[in-house]
Amino acid sequence: MSRALVAIRGVSQRFGADGGAVTALESIDLEIPNGQFVSVVGPSGCGKSTLLSLVAGLRLPSSGTVLCDGEPMAAPMPRKVGMIFQEANLLPWLSAVDNVAFPLKLRHVAKAERLAAARRMLELTGLAGFEDRLPHQLSGGMKQRVSIARGLVQNPAVLLMDEPFASLDEQTRMVLGDELLRIWSETRKTVIFVTHSLNEAVYLADRVIVLSARPGRVVDDVDVDLTRPRSFAMTAGERFGILKDRIWQHIKSAERR
Amino acid sequence: MTWPERHLRLCQAMLYVAILAAWEILPRTGLLPRLFVPPLSEALGALVTDRREYLGSLPTTFGEILASYAIVCGGGILLGQLVGSSATARRMLLPVLRSAYAVPLVVLYPVMMVWFGLGSQSKIAFASIYAFVPTMLTAVAGVAALSPALGETARAFGATRAQQILYISLPASLPSIVAALRLGGALVIVGVIVAQMLGAADGLGFLITRHRTLLNSPGVYAGIVLVLLITGMHEILLRRLERRVAAYRQGA
Repeated sequence: MSRALVAIRGVSQRFGADGGAVTALESIDLEIPNGQFVSVVGPSGCGKSTLLSLVAGLRLPSSGTVLCDGEPMAAPMPRKVGMIFQEANLLPWLSAVDNVAFPLKLRHVAKAERLAAARRMLELTGLAGFEDRLPHQLSGGMKQRVSIARGLVQNPAVLLMDEPFASLDEQTRMVLGDELLRIWSETRKTVIFVTHSLNEAVYLADRVIVLSARPGRVVDDVDVDLTRPRSFAMTAGERFGILKDRIWQHIKSAERR
Repeated sequence: MTWPERHLRLCQAMLYVAILAAWEILPRTGLLPRLFVPPLSEALGALVTDRREYLGSLPTTFGEILASYAIVCGGGILLGQLVGSSATARRMLLPVLRSAYAVPLVVLYPVMMVWFGLGSQSKIAFASIYAFVPTMLTAVAGVAALSPALGETARAFGATRAQQILYISLPASLPSIVAALRLGGALVIVGVIVAQMLGAADGLGFLITRHRTLLNSPGVYAGIVLVLLITGMHEILLRRLERRVAAYRQGA
């Protein structure tokens, strides 16, 4: 394993003024090596999304540091960290290819170059032939593929995914999960994947981080020792069940409180 | 079973023809007194005979409409964008604006005449005040409905504040801007014509009132036909514009 690409050190996050302050995250320490696929799960409101927005540089932690490739994330660094949201959040007036090229446009990359890069990404995410469609002409799953292509277009080392499949139906989620694994194995990104679905968390990841209820702390760090490539049959296997159960015990006790 | 588009279009065209035909025929049969509604051909005849007078009233009318349009849409939409993008400003100003909306502003016109005289200024002032608040409220509603998610996404991809406005807020609010233009324009036309009817020395509304006092019904209706043409043209232009910005609508 190479050195940590993403290092989260002593990170806490508080919201609000002193009186009504809420601690969302408390003393999080995580080292994520290059190329690892990490899922983050935890009870509702445990600060999973907050953690991602800290790694994305969308906000600064109240204390502690987030390093990406040795550099502190003080502001969004889209060339290092690509973000994929729960909703595809595509610009409705831009075609698929223009949406994917949008992050490059923000950096004033020449038009021909950024469109070529966007086309490659759409091909990678299985959307060749749909370049000129507007978002409303695409299905939910296709929109999320466009969003993934957009997250990948700057070739960032880290891909942050905030419940990217949560608003899709079960079949589409499974197909997109396999697609994501294929893309991951082709591009070797470091992925931090926040999800509510324990199945998804175990099925996709090398490692599952379990957060506690608010204030979010790391209560377990599960090594997913299933072979790759993953297959649907594994989800019915004994090892899969044991891993899932171990995670569920943490979440169940937290949700009951 | 739904009708094909062209059948609907045909029926609509037939409806218009029927209305125009009724306008021509009913007064001639005596079912409608000619003093109240003269046949369409007589109104058009008056329009042709007195074309100098009517055409001569158009520069003033259009000038007043365009000046008010610029004030209402420029100011109203700009202010609407500003107020709409701040939740605090919305909470503070919207109740005030809504109550201003409820005032029958036409009572202000005599005051406008005292302030600005009988010329174009009083028409522009009245039409602008008349249309300002509804136009601004439309713009506010459009901006307030924008989802913050797109801005957040752009920020994650490194957009600067200026880029967020240029590439996200502005295009995303285009549909509400056009909706505000459409409403503002329609109200401005009403405002100018009404003001001209209530007290003016020139303009289409003035002509309508003058012919009415002379009991010259064809002359009155000739003016009405011209007003209908102006509002119709405005409506057609704005609908086209609306179709062109339809892709900018959110949640599509």
